[in-house]
Amino acid sequence: MSADDRIAKAASLLLHSPPGEVDDVFNDIRGIVNDDEALQEQIEPVLAESNMQQLLVVAVPGKESKVLLTPYNQIDENRYLDPNTNTVFSFDHLRRIGSDPEEYTENMSDENEELRAELQKALEQYVQSHFKDGAVSVFVHEGSVVSCIVSNKFSPGNFWNGSWRAVWSFNPGSNQLNGSIKVRVHYFEDGNVQLDTQSDFSRDVEAGGDVANKVAKLIGQSEAEFQQGINDGFRQLSEKTFKGLRRTLPVTRNKIDWEKIANYKIGGELANAEN
Amino acid sequence: MADYDELENEQQMDCALDLMRRLPPQNVEENLVTLLEILPEMTEDLLSSIDQPLKIRQDSKSGKEYLICDYNRDGDSYRSPWTNEYDPPLADGSMPSERLRKLEMAANEAFDTYKELYYEGGVSSVYLWDMDDAFAGVVLIKKVNDGTTRSKGSWDSIHVVEVLEKGRQARYKLTSTVMLYTVASAARGDRLNEINLSGSLTRQDERDLPAEDSGAHIVNIGRMVEDMEFKMRNALQEVYFGKTHDIVNGLRSAADLSEARNRERLQRDLFGQLKSRNE
Repeated sequence: MSADDRIAKAASLLLHSPPGEVDDVFNDIRGIVNDDEALQEQIEPVLAESNMQQLLVVAVPGKESKVLLTPYNQIDENRYLDPNTNTVFSFDHLRRIGSDPEEYTENMSDENEELRAELQKALEQYVQSHFKDGAVSVFVHEGSVVSCIVSNKFSPGNFWNGSWRAVWSFNPGSNQLNGSIKVRVHYFEDGNVQLDTQSDFSRDVEAGGDVANKVAKLIGQSEAEFQQGINDGFRQLSEKTFKGLRRTLPVTRNKIDWEKIANYKIGGELANAEN
Repeated sequence: MADYDELENEQQMDCALDLMRRLPPQNVEENLVTLLEILPEMTEDLLSSIDQPLKIRQDSKSGKEYLICDYNRDGDSYRSPWTNEYDPPLADGSMPSERLRKLEMAANEAFDTYKELYYEGGVSSVYLWDMDDAFAGVVLIKKVNDGTTRSKGSWDSIHVVEVLEKGRQARYKLTSTVMLYTVASAARGDRLNEINLSGSLTRQDERDLPAEDSGAHIVNIGRMVEDMEFKMRNALQEVYFGKTHDIVNGLRSAADLSEARNRERLQRDLFGQLKSRNE
């Protein structure tokens, strides 16, 4: 493997970083590669991919607005759109700051813009109702209205980080709502324990009426169902899975009598050796 | 220049270990392979300091299964605890002394019983090796559930123990690692939710215990391993998995937060009114 290939491999590990630990993983990769110049050349696109994968919430420069970084509002290599303020800005993926805001009105004439704005409002209300630190951005992307929801809780001082990320795509032509929710938790006090779960959804939205509210309601129902599913899974883990791997105590409910096991066996061994 | 290289290697090793503590334990094998590709010159160090799930082999003579790891490896061959033979065969593979081999055989039998009582299946292996004025060993246990009843998982225990004999006493130093991989799936309506919860923990224990004969070593190591596994299993189920579950429900509130906010406001108002009435 060439030096470049090795560095590319190392850089790609960034995409496996737990939520809230991208900087730590980046520093580890830097220490392993031990060649900042060579790493810098390869890390840019990986950082961009990582920031969008994490649905990074960023302040829109020059505006009192925040927007998520996603593939759905990426205008070109490192420029992103905030449709709520009609602003396009540059983003530095390494320092994670936006700059050079410009007014952008191309999206205003899109036939789905009205639905997008309504869904943004409806989902803001949903996010406020169910997430303490949640954020939502709705975009028009290739004829669909794409909603991205993220809720992060980072508490590295208490050795844990977690994220809830969802992407919902509504096609107004077919009235189909497709979505995917992903939850990751890292708990690392004297250990490394991680939860990873993802679920994909496909729902039909009844045509006509208040489409935005119907879509928002279906999203809320699906996310509630997913959360219940996780709770069911945890119950099953502690009731079945753990027991099936290792019992807390033997069937006798007593710890093992090692004197008995060891003496019996050793006695047998010695007798065999003497014969 | 040698000093510089050593420092550089140390930094790379520290970063590699920190990285493995952060990357998903679900993919420890793939991540280790990637690290070995990035740092081929550090292969030996990485393999000996990063635990990975144990692999099972079958003893061709006895037909019994055993676990392989760095401790029963010589070159590309692995020694079976049941027949003491290397596979593939090795003319002068390293062996424990005669006394230690006897103890190793007895320990394998004892932990085979332990494994049956606690794991109701699985594979166990014990390997011992001589050291100056001491001996050391490793107790390995692996259990895999392939998920016929909607619960899939595997448990790997690696207990490394160092035994320092001092007359009729012995000092035991135990370092235990448990690697757990679980997948639970629960049906909700027409859909199946799959959650993967996995992790690894390492803990240590040290005890001075009476050891009048070889058999006492098995009793002492047995008790220490049993206590340690009891504690680690509890920690995983109660602390680690419980905490992880709480964190998920902290990310999203199942109950409507605006109702809770309203209730809070109402309570505050009521409290304010009561207070002003009492004044």
